[in-house]
Amino acid sequence: MKRSSAVVTLRPLEAPRRETFTLSNGVTVHVVKRGALPLVSLRLLIQEGGAHDPISVPGLTDFTVRLLRRGAAGQSADQIADAVDFVGASLGAWASEDTVGVALQTPSRHLDSQLELLAAVATQPDFPDAEVELARRRTLAQLSNELDDPGSLAERALQRAVWGEHPYGLDLTGTQRSLETLGRPALVERHRALFTPARASLYVVGDVEPAKVVARLEAALGSWKRPTSELTPLPRFSRATRAGQVTIVDKPEQSQVQVRLGASGIQRGHEDQIPLGVANTALGGGFTSRLMREIRVKRGLSYGAGCHFETLRAAGAFAFSSFTKTESTRELVDIARAQIAGMKAKGPTPAELATVQRYLAGLYPTRLETNDAISGAIADVDTYRLPADWIEKYRDRVMAVTRERAAAVAARHLPEPDALTLVLVGNAKAIAPQVKDLGPVQVVSPKDLG
Amino acid sequence: MKRPSISKPVIPPALQPLAKSVREHTLRNGLKVRLLPSHAVPTCTLYTFFKVGSRNERPGATGISHLFEHMMFNGAKRFGPGEFDKVLEASGGTSNAYTSNDVTVYYEDFMAEALPTVLDLESDRMQSLQVTPKMLESERQVVLEERRLRVDNEIAGLMDEELSSLVWKAHPYRWPVIGWQRDIEAISRQDCLDYFRTYYAPNNATLWLSGDFDPKEALALLEKRYGGIKPGPAAPPVLDAEPEQKGERRAEVRHPAQSPSLLVAWRGPRGDDPDTLVLDVLQYALSVGQSSRLTKALVYQQEMAVSVSVDWTWRFDPGAFLVAMELKPGADPKAAEAALYAELERVQEHGLEDREVEKARNNLSAHLIRELSTNNGRAHALGTYETMLGDWRQGLALASRYEQVTKAQVQAAAKKYLRPERRSVVTLVPQAVNA
Repeated sequence: MKRSSAVVTLRPLEAPRRETFTLSNGVTVHVVKRGALPLVSLRLLIQEGGAHDPISVPGLTDFTVRLLRRGAAGQSADQIADAVDFVGASLGAWASEDTVGVALQTPSRHLDSQLELLAAVATQPDFPDAEVELARRRTLAQLSNELDDPGSLAERALQRAVWGEHPYGLDLTGTQRSLETLGRPALVERHRALFTPARASLYVVGDVEPAKVVARLEAALGSWKRPTSELTPLPRFSRATRAGQVTIVDKPEQSQVQVRLGASGIQRGHEDQIPLGVANTALGGGFTSRLMREIRVKRGLSYGAGCHFETLRAAGAFAFSSFTKTESTRELVDIARAQIAGMKAKGPTPAELATVQRYLAGLYPTRLETNDAISGAIADVDTYRLPADWIEKYRDRVMAVTRERAAAVAARHLPEPDALTLVLVGNAKAIAPQVKDLGPVQVVSPKDLG
Repeated sequence: MKRPSISKPVIPPALQPLAKSVREHTLRNGLKVRLLPSHAVPTCTLYTFFKVGSRNERPGATGISHLFEHMMFNGAKRFGPGEFDKVLEASGGTSNAYTSNDVTVYYEDFMAEALPTVLDLESDRMQSLQVTPKMLESERQVVLEERRLRVDNEIAGLMDEELSSLVWKAHPYRWPVIGWQRDIEAISRQDCLDYFRTYYAPNNATLWLSGDFDPKEALALLEKRYGGIKPGPAAPPVLDAEPEQKGERRAEVRHPAQSPSLLVAWRGPRGDDPDTLVLDVLQYALSVGQSSRLTKALVYQQEMAVSVSVDWTWRFDPGAFLVAMELKPGADPKAAEAALYAELERVQEHGLEDREVEKARNNLSAHLIRELSTNNGRAHALGTYETMLGDWRQGLALASRYEQVTKAQVQAAAKKYLRPERRSVVTLVPQAVNA
C-alpha cells in the first residue's frame, strides 16, 4: 500500500481573487485583476438556458442568442462586426442547457468601446427581419450539413436515446421543423424573458482597474431593468429513455462505426462529484485509463476511447464514446461494457487511485491559466452553487478521496448493463447482426435526426 | 533556411519581459535548449520539436513520420512498453504530439515537481527507443483507425487528400501526413529504426521548457539527461523538384453528402519568404471575423456559402493558399466558385481598403498575444517561430513586421499568387447513398 499512502505535498496554487460589486439594478459584477498580457475577458452570464425552450420549439434560445450580434441598438450587423473585428476583439453569444451568455475578449485598451457593444447586443438586440430570415436559411443548411458528420450524428442520437422527452433531450440548436416555424415575435419574447437583471451576472478577468470597469458597466448597464419571472424547475431524471435498447443510424457508406453508450448520471455539485470523477478518470479519462488500455493499447481497435459524466444543473448523464472498423463493432462494445461493469464492481485499484489523483490534482492549475478559463471557473462556482472554496480546495479534495469512497461511488453511479443505451452510426446491414442480442434494435436514417 | 530580408526584430513593449526571460543554450551534441521560466501556476510544459515530417518521406513509406510519432509512446530502454504514459500520468502529467508536413512535435504538461521524471522519460526515448514487432503491429492498427476517422469517413479529409496531390506533382507535400493506407500497412520495423537514427538525433531537435522551475537547476538536469546522447549525421536535404504549374488543375470527389463543397488552393511562397507575412494579412482580411471580405460577401450578402475559411500555413517549402467553402444543399458549386473569384479579382484590381489592412493587422497581433497566455502556448509559439523563421525573436516581433505591410504589397501578392494558372480546385459532388 506504499503508493497510495505516500503523502504528496502540492505547491501552492494562487486561487483567483475576485472582488464583487453590485450595479444599481442589482446585477453582480465579479472582477479578477490579473495577468501580464494586455487582455481582458468579459462575460455576461444568464441563469437560464436552452433546456427551458418550449417542447414544440427546440432551438428557440440558441437561435435567439445567435442573432444578438446581427443588429442591436440601431447598429447594423455589419457595423457591429466591423467595430468588433477592427480592434482584434471577439464577441459571441452562446446557449447551453442551463445558461446563456455573451462573451467578449478584447485587448485591454479597447475595453470601454467593446463593453458598450456587449451591453448593446445583450440588452437591446433589434432582430431585424432580414437578419432573422438569413440566419434561418443558414442555420437550416448547417443542420443539414451536420448530418454528414458521423460523430455529430452519434451525439444527437445519444442525446435522444438517453434523455428522451426530458428538457435536456431537446436539440439545443433546433430541428429543421422548429427552425422553419420561428419568427421575429418569438425571438423578441424569448430575449425579453431571458435577459433580465435578476438572471444576470458579469465576470471581468484580466488587465483591468476594478473600480474603473465597474463604473463603465454601471454607465452601460445600470439602467437596464426588466421584470423577471420564476423559472419552473426541471423534472427529475433517473433512467435512460432507451435503456437496454439499440439505436443504429444507418450510413451505408461508412467503413467505421461510431459507438456510444449512455445512461443517467449525477447533477453538477452532487456530493459524489469529485470521487466519481476520480473513479471515472481511472475508467475512461486519461491515456492510461482502462478503456484506453483495453481498446487502443492492447488491441489496436480504435484511435480513441473514453467516458465521462455530463453534469448539468438538474440532472446528469454518463457517456462512453469510441469508434472502430465495422467488423470489430461488437468486440469493442463488449469490452466497453465489461470495463464499465468491472469498475462498478470493485472501483479503482490503489495504484490507479494514486495515478489519477496526481493526474487530476497536478494538472488542475493548467485549467486556470487564461482569463477565459478563470472567468469560466468562477462562473461555474456560482451557477452550480459549488462551495466557495471549490477552486482553492479542488486539489485537496481530489487527494483526499480514499479507495473505499471511490469504489462506493463507482458502485452507486456507474450504470448497470441493462441501464445502458447503445448508439451506433455506420452501415446498419453489417452492424445489426452483430448486436441483435443486446436488445431491441431500431434503425433510423440521418434525416430522422435533422 | 533562407532568412527573410528584414531588419533587426522590434519586439513590442508588452512582450519584452517575456523575451528577456528566455534562456538559450546548446548542448555539445547539438541539442538546442530554450528555457522560459514563469511562476504564475505550479506547472510546466516541455516541448520537443524534431525537424522531420512527411516532407522527409518517400513513396512506399508515406505516413512513417506519423506512425513513428505514435511509436515514440511505445517503449524505450529504461521505460518499456506502456511505461511512458503510466509514469507520466502517475507523476501528474499528460502528453500529446502531432506530425505535420514539416515537423514532428511532442509535449508534456505536468505539475512542476515532476520535471526530473519528465526529462527522464523524454531523454530515454530520444536516446534508446525500442521498436518491438508486437507494438508496431498494434500501433499500425490504431493509425489505420485514425485514418478511417479523419480521411475515409470524413468529407473534409477526402477533399484535402485529393487537393494535395493536385497542387504538388513532385514534392512530398503531395501525400497526406497520415500516409496512404497501403503504405501504412507496409512500413517495416527496419524502416522505423532507420528513420529513428536519421531524424531523431539531438542535433535535429529543439527543447522548449516553460513554467515553474529554476533555470539553473533545470539546465543542469537537462545536461545530465541529454548530454550523453550521441549526435547523428545531418539529415539528408529534401529536394524540391516541383515543376512550374502551367494551368488550372481540377478534380472531383463523389461521395454521399447533403451539399456540394469547394476547396481551392493557389501555390504560394515558402514560409520564410517576405511575401508570407503579406499573405497572412490577406488571409485575415479575407476571412477572419464576420466583417471580413469573403465572409461578408459570400456568407451574408450573396449567401453563396454557409461558411468560408482561408488557410495559409507557413511551410519550409512553397505552400498553398487555401479557400474552403461549405455550401448549402442544392447549391451550384460553379456559381459559388465564380462568386469567390469575383471577390478575389476585386482585391487584385482595387486592393483592400486601409481600414481592412489595419483590421487584419490588429487581429493578427491580438491572436499572437492570446497564444502566449499559457505555459503550453508560449513554448509552442516560440518553438514554432524558431523552427519556421530561424529565430524566436522574429516571432515576437511579428506585430511590428505586420505594421510594415502595405496595401500595395497585399494587392501585389494577390495578383502574383491568386492567378488561375497557380490554382487547383476540388469539388465535392454529392452522391446518392447505395444502401
